[in-house]
Amino acid sequence: MGSAVVADRIQFAFTVMFHYLFPIATIGLAPFIAWFAWRAARGDDEVARRASVFWTKIFAINFAVGVVTGIPMEFAFGTNWAPFSARAGAVIGQPLAMEGVYAFFLESVFLGIMLYGRHRVSPRLYAWSATLVGIGSWLSGFFIVATDAWMQHPVGYRMASDGTIRLVDIGALLFSPFAWWQYAHVLVGALVAGSFIVAGVGAYYLLAERNIEDGRRYVRLGVVVALVASALVIFPTGDRNSADVTKYQPIKLAAMEGLFHSTNGAPLAIIGMPDTQRRELIDPVVVPNVLSFLAYGNFTANVKGLTGYADTLWPPVALTYYAYHVMVGLGTIFIAVAALAVLLLWRGRLTSFRPLLWVLMLAMPFPYIANEAGWVVSEVGRQPWVIYGVMRTADAASTNVAAGETIFTLIGYVGMYFLLGLLFMLFVLREIGLGPNVATHATQEAEV
Amino acid sequence: MNIAAFALLATTIAIYVVLDGYDLGVATVAPLVARGAAQRAAAMESIGPFWNGNEVWLIAAGGLLFALFPRAYASAFSGFYLPFTVVLWLLMFRGISLELRNHLASDLWRGFWDTAFTGASALLAVLFGVALGNLVRGLPLGANGYFLGRFAFLLNPYALGVGIFALLALAQHGLAFLTLRTDGELAERSRRLLARLWWGVLLLYCATTLASLDLRSGTTAEAPMRLAPMVVLSLVALGAVHWFTRSGKPGPAFAASSLFLASLVLAAAITMYPYLLPAFPAGSGGIDVTNAGTGALGTARTLALTLPGLAAVVTYSIFVLRRMRGDQKSTSAR
Ligand code: HDD
Ligand code: HEM
Ligand code: HEM
Repeated sequence: MGSAVVADRIQFAFTVMFHYLFPIATIGLAPFIAWFAWRAARGDDEVARRASVFWTKIFAINFAVGVVTGIPMEFAFGTNWAPFSARAGAVIGQPLAMEGVYAFFLESVFLGIMLYGRHRVSPRLYAWSATLVGIGSWLSGFFIVATDAWMQHPVGYRMASDGTIRLVDIGALLFSPFAWWQYAHVLVGALVAGSFIVAGVGAYYLLAERNIEDGRRYVRLGVVVALVASALVIFPTGDRNSADVTKYQPIKLAAMEGLFHSTNGAPLAIIGMPDTQRRELIDPVVVPNVLSFLAYGNFTANVKGLTGYADTLWPPVALTYYAYHVMVGLGTIFIAVAALAVLLLWRGRLTSFRPLLWVLMLAMPFPYIANEAGWVVSEVGRQPWVIYGVMRTADAASTNVAAGETIFTLIGYVGMYFLLGLLFMLFVLREIGLGPNVATHATQEAEV
Repeated sequence: MNIAAFALLATTIAIYVVLDGYDLGVATVAPLVARGAAQRAAAMESIGPFWNGNEVWLIAAGGLLFALFPRAYASAFSGFYLPFTVVLWLLMFRGISLELRNHLASDLWRGFWDTAFTGASALLAVLFGVALGNLVRGLPLGANGYFLGRFAFLLNPYALGVGIFALLALAQHGLAFLTLRTDGELAERSRRLLARLWWGVLLLYCATTLASLDLRSGTTAEAPMRLAPMVVLSLVALGAVHWFTRSGKPGPAFAASSLFLASLVLAAAITMYPYLLPAFPAGSGGIDVTNAGTGALGTARTLALTLPGLAAVVTYSIFVLRRMRGDQKSTSAR
């Protein structure tokens, strides 16, 4: 593989993983904001009114950074992956164009009302705007995931005589069960993040003994949603994603599980280090037969291991394996934390039990890690293909862009995103520090 | 079908230029007309709720280009790798500066981001002009349709002239917007500057139009004829900008300025058709609507799937624009 491809891959992975940090929060927080805005529109709920304004500020910062980091993504397929775009553009350009037309406009136009028009429009229109912004962010997630799902599991296409890929059936692309399960998993993954953020910020207020009333509401609502979302992320959505991978991308499954040799009644590895030289899992802790069951619903089914395939078809095994175990491990922990919190809530002790509040507050970064790890499983695990079984990553990178140019722009992105990340943290922490009880945003101040 | 696809793309770009044009323009002229923190805030707030929605027209145009003409999308953006990355960075920088300026109530902080916003926006206006100029002029394309020239090729006198012209035209558009959507001293100063800047726009318009005709005259004999109606439209619109500014009608003046910009984009599109990326020198082929397209079926589907959405966008954008009307006037008055 040429060095240009490597540079392009590093650049794409870096920029898209950075971009994705922000949609996680906007997709995850949007339902909370809409909920608070509708409660507020009924008139007598002061905490909800404050909450809708406060969380909109957090949302807006995420949105702004999400937008600016999304712009290079939209064009990255043309700049860095020109042969891929020329060949597959007729297919993947379609959902991407629809994303712009149906999702991005909705989000940005109605966010204008939410940020600048709060005192100009009725609470109902405000609540409608919050809802439409939320729908926009959920739709945008859908179109982009449908694009990705097509690359993971191409459907509804045909090869034209000039080698380009033509879309025959857009319905097959948009309504592919593969895409819908992937989308459902992505959505609840973002919802896990959003609910842990709401609960975590609430826990911080309770621990710091300020904004008590608001903090209680956030913690209560947050942990309940967190429990539901954490459960959904595993079952049925995570389970169905595993089933799809088993069916369509068995090599990825073997890499995810660190299974080198085909086995009847394959065990599930909980811990262990995959070693591609010795072709085995070192120091494993396994649960016998469970992998066979998860993959095929049968404790003795045969699961094909990596050595059953030519090693030119292997993805980077260690990265796929570790990322998968990080995601699943964290998912298990989220369920445990959320379940404990809901239990205490039910007993009426949650908001005064400080150790758990600490856990909730410190848990905030981890859903991000789980979400990013999930993408690494999905994208690194599908290598060496960019379109599974159809086009290789090595053939996808621009040939008229030199590795040096890509490295130069990569350095630019790293520098810029470092600064952007710092400013982002600074302002989010500042808004959280100011809390829901002040009107701070200068533009909103000017309006009052 | 190809004509419809090309027309949709050109229209989307024209809408982008008209809409994002005014916020680029406001950003460019703000330091010239807005005095003091309050007026600067009023200028920024006049575009605050809208700039992001406006910029989505660029993203939509990118998406449509990708879906309708994938080969043009691939060739253009990889061919212009470095200049295009710089455009992306400027867009990012601009987006973030408007958001960040409001987060700290310090004059130093705001001054910094306002300057960044102005600088990035003005540079973008020039670069968009340079890009358009080069598209009209043609690009050296290799056999596989990928751009061959170097950076220096893009910096020719014609394209640079279009760049300067774009800066002035967008500045005029921004001033017209400020005259319309703000009031008091700020609006008055914008109106006066607009009346003076207009002469510069007129001068450069004549110069670039003549240069464009000269560029094409040797090869496409019919081009001047095809262009004539657009030239008339541009001149009428430009005249109307002047007329309505002088007679104190900011609404029609802004509409005329919008029409002027749209007619420029459409004129460029008409000159280029059927090419998306004409080769240099003019007349030597290039990437056109047929060899970059996805076939009649693919094109028809993309149109069917996106046109209703675009119609909805226009409808609710107008709704939001109306709901937010008057916002800035009351703010800057206080
Ligand atoms: C909070 C985040 C989160 C958590 C706790 C989990 N996941 Fe996940 N997972 C994602 C967030 C995520 C994701 C970011 O949303 C991914 C990346 C790509 C995708 O489709 O979803 C993903 C991908 C992903 C894939 C790869 C799909 C593919 O390659 O196409 C599988 C098989 C699973 N997940 C399965 C699970 C299971 C069995 C979990 C049990 C605990 C689990 N995930 C927890
Ligand atoms: C949903 C829309 C997405 C599409 C269409 C998409 C498409 C692509 C493409 C074209 C590549 C480069 C070719 C390749 O290496 O296979 C790639 C690689 C990659 N993507 Fe995605 N991607 C999407 C979402 C994401 C997200 C949200 C993340 C992470 C947060 C992600 C993580 C990665 C990583 C880590 C790579 C590098 C893999 C490697 O080259 O080893 N992707 N993806
Ligand atoms: C390679 C893949 C991707 C591309 C090309 C891409 C493109 C973009 C673009 C151009 C924007 C800015 C839109 C605007 O101006 O309003 C954006 C924002 C956004 N993207 Fe992405 N994106 C990618 C991956 C993803 C993924 C995987 C998700 C979610 C699952 C996602 C969800 C969003 C959302 C919700 C926004 C709105 C802004 C925000 O909420 O932060 N994107 N994206």
